[in-house]
Amino acid sequence: MFEEKIKEFEPIFYPESIAVIGASATSIKAGSVWVWSLKSAGFPGSIYPVGSKSGRIADLEIFTNLRLIPGEVDYVIVATPRQSVLKLLDDCAAKNVKAVQFFTAGFSEMDARQGHKLEERMLEKARRGNIRIIGPNCIGVYCPEHKIPFPMGTLGETGSVGFLSQSGGIAAKLVTIGLARHINYSKGVSFGNGIDLGASDFLQYLAADPKTKTIGAYLEGTRDGARLFNTMKEVARVKPLVIWKGGRTEAGAQAATSHTGSLASSAAIWSAMLRQAGAIEVHSLEELTDTLLIFQQLRHWKGSYAAIIGGLADGGGGNSVAAGDACMENGLKVPSLSLGTKQKLGELLGEVGSILCNPVDVSQAQFRGLETLFQSIDLIARDTNIDIILIQEDIDILLPIYAWKGVEEINDFFIKLAGRQNKPIIVVLPHGSAESERMQIEQKLLAASVPVFCSMERAAKAIYNINQYSCWQEAG
Amino acid sequence: MVKSQNLLTEVESKALLKKAGIPVVEAEVARSKKEAIDISHEMGFPIVLKISSADVVHKSDSGGVKLGLANATQVGKAYSEILSSIKQAYPKAHIDGVSVQPMAAPGVEVIVGMSKDAQFGPVLMFGLGGILVEVLKDVSFRIVPVTARDAKEMIREIKGYPVLEGYRGQKPASISALEKLIVKVSQFVEKNPQIRELDLNPIFAYPDKAVAVDARIILE
Repeated sequence: MFEEKIKEFEPIFYPESIAVIGASATSIKAGSVWVWSLKSAGFPGSIYPVGSKSGRIADLEIFTNLRLIPGEVDYVIVATPRQSVLKLLDDCAAKNVKAVQFFTAGFSEMDARQGHKLEERMLEKARRGNIRIIGPNCIGVYCPEHKIPFPMGTLGETGSVGFLSQSGGIAAKLVTIGLARHINYSKGVSFGNGIDLGASDFLQYLAADPKTKTIGAYLEGTRDGARLFNTMKEVARVKPLVIWKGGRTEAGAQAATSHTGSLASSAAIWSAMLRQAGAIEVHSLEELTDTLLIFQQLRHWKGSYAAIIGGLADGGGGNSVAAGDACMENGLKVPSLSLGTKQKLGELLGEVGSILCNPVDVSQAQFRGLETLFQSIDLIARDTNIDIILIQEDIDILLPIYAWKGVEEINDFFIKLAGRQNKPIIVVLPHGSAESERMQIEQKLLAASVPVFCSMERAAKAIYNINQYSCWQEAG
Repeated sequence: MVKSQNLLTEVESKALLKKAGIPVVEAEVARSKKEAIDISHEMGFPIVLKISSADVVHKSDSGGVKLGLANATQVGKAYSEILSSIKQAYPKAHIDGVSVQPMAAPGVEVIVGMSKDAQFGPVLMFGLGGILVEVLKDVSFRIVPVTARDAKEMIREIKGYPVLEGYRGQKPASISALEKLIVKVSQFVEKNPQIRELDLNPIFAYPDKAVAVDARIILE
């Protein structure tokens, strides 16, 4: 699907040379930041800084005009004021540039009429010169495989999640959250006003891109609703599409005479459109990244019968009740364990009553050693009534009981269990006072591909979302 | 505000819908008391009379609707009453006459409508009729074209769905008839881009069929 896009977008995500317009040897300008970022990320192609004065930056010669660059230029990053953009597009055309990204802001997003006019003229020039435009008002491309970072940003590991964002701020946030939570991106793009290449184009490219297995997006509006809807319908059939829609349009505020017109708010229509297209709608940065994380780890997976393991190590109680509620309220089922499991658990833990219910309280294991704890959890994981295991682990309480060494051993066991079980093992690590230890454990688990969430609600919602996608696909 | 010439009357709207294969309770305009009685005899009692005028937006609030008329005498009397109340409430209204239609047996009330979204174009809405739509806004939407699968999902998406399955001894509504109706409405609005808004409100859903009892079409 959309195979032609791979070739078309190659100069954008895998350029052999990048020119940065607006670099300076002496003052810190946005263009300079881009040059330094590309250089320090180890971009493998040629970097050509272009500025009004000659000189050197990051060991590279500054050219005073794009046309003076000796070699070919695939891709241009523009960080100069908007007055310069039209002339610059002429230079790009003369130089046979394939694509231009405008960091430059101050177009239709600021001044609807004047800005829009200028965008039209840019587009005209770009079409004539056979150039694709990304932006304006955006931070462009992120491609860890080809060592292209966002400006001032760190490069994460290359992975299977692709993203697009109308907002540069949210695009940058996706990368940093990805670094912290081991969400590894194939590539991402911030496309701002999207006057030429917009959401539909990047969705098609990511759908075609063999490295991308899941697609996330932050969108605020669209210039071509019908195309976006049809593109999403096609893309969602082949890859999970997780969409966060921010903002509302003023455009929808028409005087309505019918019942239907008065009820059809823009937000309601977007939600309906996403559902109809088979996309998963999320409502916050947290839910977006949670859902991308779960897709990255589980890919295509279906099952909503959860075992909740509590009592690590707070004696279950209220926390287990709350965990059960969080799961049920977010569309998961919390079935009782099979008789066999209950019986064996009783023998292991030496207690009858509430511990045999789901959520399961394994706190009694602390009096019988780690081996008993591991056997109990293994037993629960193997129960045929269960297809997903949620472990609630409170580092604040585990530390005084098991000490750091014990806590590490427990989590090593979870990693081993996740490796030998074909059921997902998901760990919930709530925030508390032992924050640095909690973070170490979180990093350890995430590095071993065990999904970690900081609350049961967030875990449950992410699991629900991946289930929705599987159900939607199965329904054909 | 909508100019009155953009608003089709119920009789005009239903004629278009019927041609498109969407089931409606047929209505005919009578321009005299005698015509109203003659049409009633053809259709069979009980009968409903409604004022037919594009200028009268709130028909029932202004005494423009009479339900359950059991014989010719009642039809004649209702005809005169409707005309005199409308002349009082809307002295300047252009009146086509009075529409005559058979009184539909009670069913589960639902609404299907269309409006145009600035970004996505024509959009269909489905909901249960009356208070559930107006107060609780328990409705679902889909972008046109609406497929059979979309129709199926949008019906099941509303919170009031169990009402359609039969509630407290009430007979269930034919979900498949509603699905077909929604798909037909989608095809209808796709073929007629000059329609700006549409309301089929209410539709009565029965165990074996679904019929639009009232309809309103607003043109661009």
